[in-house]
Amino acid sequence: MKLNSSYLKHLHFRWLPTSLYIAFLFLPLLPIVYISFHSTQRIHGASTAVGQYTWLNYIHVFQNPALTAAIINSITYVILNILFTIPVALLAAYAFSRYSFVGDKHLFFGFLTLRMTPPVVMVLPVFLLFSALDLLNTPLAIALAHCMFNVPISIWVLESFISAIPKEIDETAFIDGYSFFQFFTRILVPLMAPGIAVACFFCFMFSWVEVVFARILTVTQGKPISMAIGALFSYRTDIGLVMAMTVLSIIPGALVIYFARNHIAKGFTIKQLN
Amino acid sequence: MVKSTNNRAWVFVIPALLLLGFVAVFPIMMVVNYSFHDIFVPPAKVWVGLEWYIEILGSIRFWESFGRSLLFSAIILTLEISLGIAIALSMPKKGVLVAVCLVSMSVPLLVPWNMIPIIWHVYLDIIGKVLATIGVGFDWKLNAIHTWIAIVLMDFWHWTSLVVLLCYSSLTTIPDAFYCTAAIDGASRWDLFRYIELPKMKGVLMMAILLRFIDSFMVFVEPFSLNSGGPRRTTTFLAQALGGDVVSFNYGPAAARSVIFFIIILIVSWTFKTAMDVRESDNKYNKMTTDANS
Repeated sequence: MKLNSSYLKHLHFRWLPTSLYIAFLFLPLLPIVYISFHSTQRIHGASTAVGQYTWLNYIHVFQNPALTAAIINSITYVILNILFTIPVALLAAYAFSRYSFVGDKHLFFGFLTLRMTPPVVMVLPVFLLFSALDLLNTPLAIALAHCMFNVPISIWVLESFISAIPKEIDETAFIDGYSFFQFFTRILVPLMAPGIAVACFFCFMFSWVEVVFARILTVTQGKPISMAIGALFSYRTDIGLVMAMTVLSIIPGALVIYFARNHIAKGFTIKQLN
Repeated sequence: MVKSTNNRAWVFVIPALLLLGFVAVFPIMMVVNYSFHDIFVPPAKVWVGLEWYIEILGSIRFWESFGRSLLFSAIILTLEISLGIAIALSMPKKGVLVAVCLVSMSVPLLVPWNMIPIIWHVYLDIIGKVLATIGVGFDWKLNAIHTWIAIVLMDFWHWTSLVVLLCYSSLTTIPDAFYCTAAIDGASRWDLFRYIELPKMKGVLMMAILLRFIDSFMVFVEPFSLNSGGPRRTTTFLAQALGGDVVSFNYGPAAARSVIFFIIILIVSWTFKTAMDVRESDNKYNKMTTDANS
């Protein structure tokens, strides 16, 4: 291995910005993980002294019914949201991609504006509307409320993926006698699988992290993870428990992106509506 | 691909319209309605017309926070877009490290928003202690500039990955042949960026700028959780007054503020979309005329 300067330059400096950036991203998470693995409060009857390396915090998370309920609530409404968003967005994206129709540009712009609306603007009327419909305190309410942001983004992502599939495939299928529904489910969706994965990633990404709606729409039950952690702060906060919960709230996200990693890069091309 | 013109495509859009109409359009209409009333409880409404708008738009605090939000967005955009592009340019394009990079860069995007101040509280305390040992004071509770630095850092940590991922995705679509041709033609690194990479990223960059501008203009969770808009209102941005009104159930002012914000967003989005359309039609016109002339 030659260690002359050009080889070294080639090896290290090209990836310096990326490596520095990733290091910067992980630095704040290090104290969190560190604290989550150390016992921080002498629990009555426990034999672990304060400050020892232990898995106890994670065990306590799963022994605490409020925290496990919160994890289940969060996962439930994210999955519900994906189930609502993807079919609706897939149909609309098909229309935007394959056809031009009266008002299509304005409609797309309208959808985009809904995505741009900050949640805090919509919170009050959505709260009143859902309380009139008796939907509060359920994961269904949060799933529906998040559709406002996820459907536009999903339409945008799915539209660029559908545009990458040649129109000839549609035409061939129709000539071969497929009905539209058969074509959609048997041909288009399997071809679109990467795009659907990317759209699911976006839905997950927004739904999992959003706190404003999740907080306002759940008053007594159905609390998501973010609120459950907030509730842990009290007179004698068990910081280890808080940190363990924080680490657990990051893990599902990391898993989702790991499974969708190959397709994320393909998902973001913007097509102008011609 | 040529799109056929067929108005029956509206049928496909109807489910999306129904869902969004219920969840978004109907509440927006409610908000506009509430903004014209003084409401103690919803059954007891009094029409006040434009009173809330006059009060809000005439208050000096609104314009102060408006200015702060603009400044914050300007700082965030300059930092995040430029550094985001730089990082995307330096990411590996092939090999096993691609997955490692993508996964690690997405982690900040997947942290629930109210955990971020929790994480940063701990981290900022550690930084404060480290800086104190070398004699630099870092007081993010009582010093306005330090609080600004802390909030900018938090937002940068949280959202730059989005810009990086978007730019990286369009960079990966550039075929290797372009790079080979550029090397043969003797293009410098700057030329490569300016004539090959930047045009490819333009569409995606526009979207990233629009998203980041709106999200940073309307930022609520980070500054509020860090220091509640302090010290002495120096980090109170636009959305915080709205949050306060919502929590205290001041329907009228909250609705009026919401309408004002919505109009700001409409104007900014429409300006961007028009700029993108003008650029696109310019390209098409140029292409048509050069094709005709050649």
